[in-house]
Amino acid sequence: MSVERKMVTACIIDDDDIFIYGFKKFMEIRGVSAEILNFSNGKEAIDYLKNPFYANNLPDIIFVDINMPVMDGWEFTQNFEEIKSHMGKKISVYFISSSVDINDISRAKNNPAIEDYILKPISESYVADIINSHDISPGFISMN
Amino acid sequence: MSFFEGHNFFGESTAHLARLINNINTGIWEYNTTTKKAKWSDGFYAILGYQPGEIECSYHNFFENILYFHDKQIFLKATHYAGTGPAPLAQIRLLTKNNGYQWFESSALKHDDDDGQFIHGVLNNINKYKLAEFRAAEADFMAAETGRIARLGGWEIDISSMALNMSREIYNIYELYGDIKLSVDEAISFFEPAYRPVLTKAIDDAIKYCKPYDLEVLFKTAKNNVIWVRAKGIPIINDYGSCVKVRGIFQDIDIIKRSGLSMQSSINLLDDQNKRLQNFAYIVSHNLRSHAGNLKFMVNLFEETKTENDKEEIFSHIKTISDSLSATMGHLDEIVKIQSEISKERKSVAFETIFNNVIATLRANIEASDTQISADFSEVPEISYIPAYLESIFQNLLTNAIKYKHPNREPVINCYTHIHEKHVYLVFEDNGMGIDMKRFGDQLFGMYRTFHQNKDAKGIGLFITRNQVEALGGSIAVESTVDVGTKFTVRLV
Repeated sequence: MSVERKMVTACIIDDDDIFIYGFKKFMEIRGVSAEILNFSNGKEAIDYLKNPFYANNLPDIIFVDINMPVMDGWEFTQNFEEIKSHMGKKISVYFISSSVDINDISRAKNNPAIEDYILKPISESYVADIINSHDISPGFISMN
Repeated sequence: MSFFEGHNFFGESTAHLARLINNINTGIWEYNTTTKKAKWSDGFYAILGYQPGEIECSYHNFFENILYFHDKQIFLKATHYAGTGPAPLAQIRLLTKNNGYQWFESSALKHDDDDGQFIHGVLNNINKYKLAEFRAAEADFMAAETGRIARLGGWEIDISSMALNMSREIYNIYELYGDIKLSVDEAISFFEPAYRPVLTKAIDDAIKYCKPYDLEVLFKTAKNNVIWVRAKGIPIINDYGSCVKVRGIFQDIDIIKRSGLSMQSSINLLDDQNKRLQNFAYIVSHNLRSHAGNLKFMVNLFEETKTENDKEEIFSHIKTISDSLSATMGHLDEIVKIQSEISKERKSVAFETIFNNVIATLRANIEASDTQISADFSEVPEISYIPAYLESIFQNLLTNAIKYKHPNREPVINCYTHIHEKHVYLVFEDNGMGIDMKRFGDQLFGMYRTFHQNKDAKGIGLFITRNQVEALGGSIAVESTVDVGTKFTVRLV
């Protein structure tokens, strides 16, 4: 019995529309078969993740920017940690930022909730690899 | 039993007395003013270093050869004392055989007798004490001079009586002259109110726990001069380890302290400027880096994409990035301008005039948002300031208040000047959406910090305002409550 590989859902949280556009386009060009959600700040993403309506369409990977209005990357991580256990699946969080501030980098590296710190401009192939090699955790089995 | 008992010496009486007088180690002399004859005891010769009879025993010899010429007046005055009571003691210098002039104490008594008029006298060598006295006086003088020059005095508290003893120089620092003695509490009352409890506690701790202290505090002299002083105290303990005295120094350090304080404030200013520059460099590089990154990203995408439609869209993004880059360069120019304009002359400017100019340029915004602005500059109508800065402060803070208006009500802005402790303040109050100070307070004046999802937000206005205000030595403070409003208080000078 063969198990069909389910499509990965990636989520990008960034206030920069151009970056989101480029990110999506690249994934398309590179043939990465992923569904991509996007939010322009941390709060929008948290609201989405908390909403039971979207419980069946949660992302597997989150790419989050640091500097954003309303709720920045750090606050997002903090809020996400609090709701993570209710998600019913493992979600990996990556930071994507153009900040070369040593404080930002070491803070991200020392945070076990953050998989990696990816510096902008991103290497498209590295991001594509992350998505392609992602093992989809056994999803929450729907009762209906 | 006294020698003089029953007006009689015992033993051989007069002969005994004569031997006694002759042999004691003190110079005793007698001079008959009628016959001009002198008698010297053996002790008289001895204290001058001679054998009895070695030198001529005469008043003339004594007065002309032995007595130091400077001391003749003193000797005569004491010897021919006409008053009642014991004759005064005279301190005189006499030439000894081997040791040059030495100090002696002379006392004399007149006595009339059937044989004529006599003067009896006694001489004692006091050289050792006199020299010690000179040395002590020199040491005292040195100490007093050192204290006077260093503006430093010593004090001591005796714990059993709590009596305070302070050196002359301390009274000079207190600017208290005349015969005054202060208690510990009185001495403390001269310190500035904020430091009194500090001093009281330090002295208490020295007494109770044998804890020394060294404080630099503000002090008000009897003539109301406020100066910085150093008060240092150390406990003196007895064999049982308890404090019996507190001894210390008190020094006027006003000049040193004030130059130290002004140095510190220059250091703080430099430190602030340095931090701002560093922050600025970091922010600019971050901002340029993110534009450059996006540009590279779009160029790569442009190269890889196949469809004409996509290419067109990508190119429009590249144009956006190019515009953003130009805007960033513009911001850079503005910030550099702050530093270059600081050397421009300050002019007396009326708040009203600047306010009206800015209102005129914002007219469209104000009308579109139905903003009500009230202004009252009566408390401080004008100020010496760089006009362009003041205009920019008004422009940025008014624009901000309109831009971040509350979604459910028309903006109301109240701005006024106010003076407090010689500082001039310019205040802007609004009823806008407010800002969460706990979350964003420390980033509010940072560059490219935006807190609301607002398309017009560039995160540059407050950064520039703060830089302009601080460049002229002022500061800016903010109070805000979400959904209530925001109050910016700018200390201009």
